[in-house]
Amino acid sequence: MSDIAIKASEPLTLRAQLTEDWLAVVIGLLVFGSALASIGGVDLLGWAVTTSVYTDLTQALNPFAKSYAWLGGGGALIATYVALLVVLSAGVATLGADVRKFALAFTAVFAIAYASWIVGSYAYVAAVTPAEQQKFGLSWSLKLTNEGGFIVALLAGIVIANFFPRFAEWLKEAIRPELYIKVAIVILGATVAVTAAARLNLASSLLLRGAAAIVEAYLIYWAVIYYVARKWFGFSREWSVPLASGISICGVAAAIATGGAIRARPAVPILVSSLVVVFAVVEVLILPFLAQTFLWQEPLVAGAWIGLAIKTDGAAVAGGGITESLIMAKAAAEGIKYQPGWILATTATVKIFIDIFIGIWAFILGYIWTNHIDKGPDRAKPVEIWQRFPKFILGFIVVFAVSLWLAIGSTPEIAKALPAAAGEANVFRVIFFVLTFFSIGVLSDFRKLWQQGFGKLAAVYFVSLFGFVIWVGLLISWLFFSGFKPPLVS
Amino acid sequence: MSQFDLKNEISSKEVEPLLPVEKKLIGFSLGLGIFLLVVLVAINHFVPIKL
Repeated sequence: MSDIAIKASEPLTLRAQLTEDWLAVVIGLLVFGSALASIGGVDLLGWAVTTSVYTDLTQALNPFAKSYAWLGGGGALIATYVALLVVLSAGVATLGADVRKFALAFTAVFAIAYASWIVGSYAYVAAVTPAEQQKFGLSWSLKLTNEGGFIVALLAGIVIANFFPRFAEWLKEAIRPELYIKVAIVILGATVAVTAAARLNLASSLLLRGAAAIVEAYLIYWAVIYYVARKWFGFSREWSVPLASGISICGVAAAIATGGAIRARPAVPILVSSLVVVFAVVEVLILPFLAQTFLWQEPLVAGAWIGLAIKTDGAAVAGGGITESLIMAKAAAEGIKYQPGWILATTATVKIFIDIFIGIWAFILGYIWTNHIDKGPDRAKPVEIWQRFPKFILGFIVVFAVSLWLAIGSTPEIAKALPAAAGEANVFRVIFFVLTFFSIGVLSDFRKLWQQGFGKLAAVYFVSLFGFVIWVGLLISWLFFSGFKPPLVS
Repeated sequence: MSQFDLKNEISSKEVEPLLPVEKKLIGFSLGLGIFLLVVLVAINHFVPIKL
C-alpha cells in the first residue's frame, strides 16, 4: 500500500494517514461524480487540460472537451491549476496543514510537474511508431510515449531532492505522494471498470489471480525477508518486522502498520519507509524498460510483475502505466495494437489485492507479538484491522462498481456515454500521477544511502529485492498470466 | 527524530536469537504460502483465464 518517504523529522501518525485516506476518497469521488455529469449533458470538467504529442509547443495544450475550445491550451492549464489548488487546499486544511504554505508550494509543484509532462510529450521524446515519426517529420525519437513525462517528472524531483535540498524543504508542504496516488487510484476505478466491461471474462479472471499476489506478498516474501533480516543480518525484531513488511508488502503503510502493531518506536518504520521509496524509484527507472525488452510479448505478465516487484502504491501503479505505454508502443511498432488499460489494470489489481490485507496481517503480527513475544498490558485488538484498513480502496471499489453498473446494467445510451465520462476523469488521474512521480522524486534523497547505518538496511533490501522478490514475482506472474494477451483494438 | 543515531541504533543492539514462536511464524507462513500457491496453480490450470 502506501508508499512514500517520510523524512525522519516528520513522524506520521496512523490517525493522520487514515484522514488522508478519506480525503483521497472525497476528492476522487468529486472528480468521478463531476465527470459523470457529462452523461446527462452537463460537462463540468471539459475545461481540464490535456497534452498532445507536439513539435510546436503552441499546439501542445488543449482543453479536454471541444465545447471549451474557447479557453485555449493556456486557459485550460490555468483553470486546471486553479481547480486543483482550491480543492487540494481545502482538503489539506482538514488535515491541519498550513494552507498558505501549501498553496505556494503546490503552485511550484504543479508548475514543475506539469512542465515535465509537457517535456515528455515532445515528439522527439514521445513519438513511437514510424507513422508518428513521419507525421512530425522526425528521423528518430526516444519512443517513450507521452507517458515518458512521468519519468521526466521523477528525474526533476530527484534533481531537486539531491542538488537543491533547501528548495525541496520549501516544497514539502505540497509533497504528498500518498494523497496524490490515492486520489488517482480512486479515479482509476472508472477506467478499470470501462476496460473490464468490454471483456468481463478476462476481467474476472484477473481478479481471481489477485489472490496469488496476496499469498506471495504476505506468506512467502514476508517470511523469507524476515528470516534474512533476523538471521543473516542480525537485525532486532523491532527493525525486522517493518523492514520485511516494507520490502514484501507495500512500502510505508505496511511498514508503519506492522511497526505499530508490534509496538515498535515510530522512528523505526519511518526510517525503513524512506529506504523503500529510494529503492522504488530505482525500480521505476529500470523495471518498465526491462519489461518492454523482455516481456513485451507477455503484457499481462509484465503488468503483474510490476505490481509484485515495486513496493509502493505510487511507484507500482505509475510504473504499470509506464510499462503499458512502453509495451503498447513496442507492440504497435510490430503491428500489434492492444486495447489500452489492461496492463495497468493488471498492475492495479495486484496492488489493490495486496493492500486490502495489510490490516489483517498487522493484527496477526500484533497478536503474536503482544501475546507471545513482548507480553504487556497493551494487547492487539481486532478493531485495529479496520483502523489500519486502507480506506481509499473503498473509494476505488465504489467508483469501479458504479462505473461497471453504468456500463453493463443501465441503458445503452448511458453505456455509450460512459467511456467519454471516464476519459474526462482520467485526465485528472494522469495529472495526479504526474504529481505523484514528481513528489516521489523530491523525497528520494539518495544521500540517505550514505548515511551511517543505512548501508546495512539497504543491504537487506538489495539482497531481498534483487536476489528474491523480483525473480519470484516474475515466476509467479509467468505461472498465472503467461499466454494471455489484452484484447486487440478492433 | 532528526537526531536519530541510526548507526548506533543498529550496531549496538545485541543479536536477538530467533524465538520458537518466530520460527513457527516463518515456517507456517512459508508452508501455507507454498501450499496455497500450488492450489492456485492447480486452479489456474483447470480454470484458465478466459478471453
